[in-house]
Amino acid sequence: MLNNIINFANYWWFRYLMVTELYVVEKWERVTIHVIFMVLFCVFWYFNYSVLLSVTGNIFGYSPIANGLLPPLPHGAAGVKVTS
Amino acid sequence: MGNLDDASAGFEQSYVHSNGNGSVKSSTPISNGHIPNHTTFVEQRQKSDEQQQQNGEETEEQLLRLKELKFSAPAYTEIRTRSGGLNFKNAEEGSYHPANGHVEKSGKRSDKFKPSQADGILSAEQEHYQKTSFEDVPLHTACLTYLGFYLLMILGYINQLLFVPKVATEKARDGYVTLYDAFESFYSRYVYRRVRDCWNRPICSVPGDELILKDRVTDDYGWSFRFTGTETRCLNLGSYNYLGFASATGRCADESEQRAREKGLAYCSSRCELGNTQLHIDLERLTARYCGVEDAIVFGMGFATNALNLPALLGPKCLVVSDEKNHASIILGLRLSGATTKVFKHNSMKDLERVLRNGVCYGNPKDGGKPYKKILICVEGIFSMEGSIVRLPEIIALKKKYKAYLYLDEAHSVGSMGPNGRGVVDYFKADPKDVDILMGTFTKSFGSAGGYIAGTKKLIDYLRANSHAHCYAGSISPPIVQQIYTSMSIIMGDDGTNTGRNKIQQLARNTRYFRRRLAQIGVITYGHEDSPVVPMLVYLFSKIGAVIRTLTTRHIAVVGAGFPATPIMEGRIRFCLSAAHTKEQLDYALDVIDDVSENLGLKYSRKPRDPNPIEY
Repeated sequence: MLNNIINFANYWWFRYLMVTELYVVEKWERVTIHVIFMVLFCVFWYFNYSVLLSVTGNIFGYSPIANGLLPPLPHGAAGVKVTS
Repeated sequence: MGNLDDASAGFEQSYVHSNGNGSVKSSTPISNGHIPNHTTFVEQRQKSDEQQQQNGEETEEQLLRLKELKFSAPAYTEIRTRSGGLNFKNAEEGSYHPANGHVEKSGKRSDKFKPSQADGILSAEQEHYQKTSFEDVPLHTACLTYLGFYLLMILGYINQLLFVPKVATEKARDGYVTLYDAFESFYSRYVYRRVRDCWNRPICSVPGDELILKDRVTDDYGWSFRFTGTETRCLNLGSYNYLGFASATGRCADESEQRAREKGLAYCSSRCELGNTQLHIDLERLTARYCGVEDAIVFGMGFATNALNLPALLGPKCLVVSDEKNHASIILGLRLSGATTKVFKHNSMKDLERVLRNGVCYGNPKDGGKPYKKILICVEGIFSMEGSIVRLPEIIALKKKYKAYLYLDEAHSVGSMGPNGRGVVDYFKADPKDVDILMGTFTKSFGSAGGYIAGTKKLIDYLRANSHAHCYAGSISPPIVQQIYTSMSIIMGDDGTNTGRNKIQQLARNTRYFRRRLAQIGVITYGHEDSPVVPMLVYLFSKIGAVIRTLTTRHIAVVGAGFPATPIMEGRIRFCLSAAHTKEQLDYALDVIDDVSENLGLKYSRKPRDPNPIEY
């Protein structure tokens, strides 16, 4: 069972390396690219979280995170700025 | 998996030891840390040999053993598979040896044989579209290919920034401009170098249906290679040995050897001086008869036949309409000639007609709109990278309509196409006299070297006087001429046997079977169904490397082609079929290709697949 999962993960990791051409590069280059990928992902995530979410919240008057966490908004409030 | 079917248990054990538990020095992605520990194996072998000697064994057997020892281990390891490791269905599958006689698995021999010939039932255009396939790339693969290429470039630039290799800096060259183009050096150092082990592989045998690769490994990611001392015997799906005349035995080889003993190896002079012999004249006559035209002229090098004869035929005030996939030798020849070159889309008659009409109507803009001196259409018979066949009947119609000349390069098609092996002219049953200049090479189907131009007597006489390749190049070496002469007579049936015809039919059968099976597997192949050049699209750079490496472990030698030889988008593996291949060999290769394309995700094709077994 565990072996199967490891095999499955290994195989698809290999396929992932193959389609990104990382299969042919050296190890440190692979790490570099993955670090760059992670940084990009984090930057996007932060951007989405801080900017996009509040903008869409402002536009539609609805903020999914704020709705779940905060008590209902007082009537007439334009939106909630989620980040500090 | 050694490629010895008759290996003893001791052999297997020592092999496993040398690869599995043996001292693996380093682990690189290219060699995958697979360095066969050869010495222990040799020692063991020697010990057993000594014992055998004491037993009074003959030395001949010992020699055979040593020869076997050479085929021990490939320098690559298997790729990761879906089930996570090597799983051959049976012991034989992992090793290729023709003596095994691979069991017939699919496809039976069909009784009705179709020769390599255009059907002529539909119109030429309809038949072309029916038989030629250029399937589009799936969108996600296209995006990934570009992404991957950009990643490789970015990594390359980072690499170049951080580590400058010794070869990149020249000493005592202050004040000089750079001799080499910066981008080309960059590309070969940081992109091509990563999969360099898949190209320029040294071989050490005749490239017949099988060949022997010299194993090499790299410890520094492709900067340098080290020979392991082992050799791998592979099924050869890469050489242009279409009719199987590349061989060290048989009639061709014997007669060439005889000729070399009689006449030596070179005339040390050009044809115009003291290098013209009856042998050359006979060959030219035979070539003319072979092509069905008045006269022919032969040259010692196929590439130079194009590159040096086109400038003799064309001048600066001429227009050349050239197919976009034409070979480098044609492009070089056109550049040397200084003629205006207009390129038309690959095999597109509409575009060809547009270019021709514009050329005829508007004339030469560099010359104030005066008409061009002559217009030449330049095409190939089989396009070597695309595997497609020229649309000859339609081009001949267009050339007659616009009164242009036609230059047909039959480098790959001569010998391999047509019921009589006379190239695409024979395939389409066209009149060879409709093609003004018939060019071809002896390098491929004839298993020799050189090229020819055939046409009217007037054309050939003109070339004899004006061609640089005739006047300045040394004349062809006698054994080479003999090889061409003998193989050509065999193809023509002049030797009184059916060998040539059988070879042509075998190739046609192999081609159709291989292409259909590939389509059934679900990979994308390009080109015409009767063309023995079969490009299989893998798109990604790393997949070219992975496929070639994996196929080498399964004892199949193939050739890959990537950027810059093809567009970035279209990395491919090119199979060249041969009449020397048997059905069993092709079946083995196809089974392996099926397995590999499953594991690497090469089954891009979205066409419906034939569920029935393909008939051979």
